[in-house]
Amino acid sequence: MAWISLIVAGLFEMLGVTFINQLHEKRNAASFFLLVISFSASFLFLALAMKSLPMGVAYAVWTGIGTIGAALLGMLFYGESKKASRLFCIGLVLAATIGLKLVS
Amino acid sequence: MPWLMIVIAAIFEVGWVVGLKHATSVLHWIGTVICIGLSFALLILAGKKLPVSTVYAVFVGLGTAGTVSVDILFFNHPFDGVQIILITILLSGVIGLKFVTDSENKSKEEGDKWPGSV
Repeated sequence: MAWISLIVAGLFEMLGVTFINQLHEKRNAASFFLLVISFSASFLFLALAMKSLPMGVAYAVWTGIGTIGAALLGMLFYGESKKASRLFCIGLVLAATIGLKLVS
Repeated sequence: MPWLMIVIAAIFEVGWVVGLKHATSVLHWIGTVICIGLSFALLILAGKKLPVSTVYAVFVGLGTAGTVSVDILFFNHPFDGVQIILITILLSGVIGLKFVTDSENKSKEEGDKWPGSV
């Protein structure tokens, strides 16, 4: 289903972003390789999702999942702030995404 | 200059989104990949001159607005008010996340890392 593909695309995007950081720190071939794979997979699943979803919806949700995914990863594994304003923004993205799914 | 880079990056962003959905020939796909590369490169360049969060926020805003507009104007996507409002709310969350995080990290370090890390 298109929405599952979209979520998977967002997750790979989130993964790719973490590899950007890893590449920044480690600067090895493996990090670069994993980065390329992650982003490629992200685009692949996004393309799949866009076969049946409007461009704007797919792009916005994909961006949103990638962004909040990266933020959540940061909170869980890198000790980044869990302050209310961040959680609220994550909530906004989630609510809007669910809303878009419901009206589609 | 960096602001112009962001605008052009957003144009290429819209380009690859359109390509991803509508590409049919090899030429289309090559064009799509080129758009992805250029968009990314310009974004990184702009990020060297301006705060990364600002760059990303403006870029994502323009990219999304551009994509929705192009879909409505050129691909006959119906103007859906509810959809547009929800997309705007979603964007607010994404942009808000960048700014509330950035304001806290400014006190931690001077150098800005890629948006996703903060």
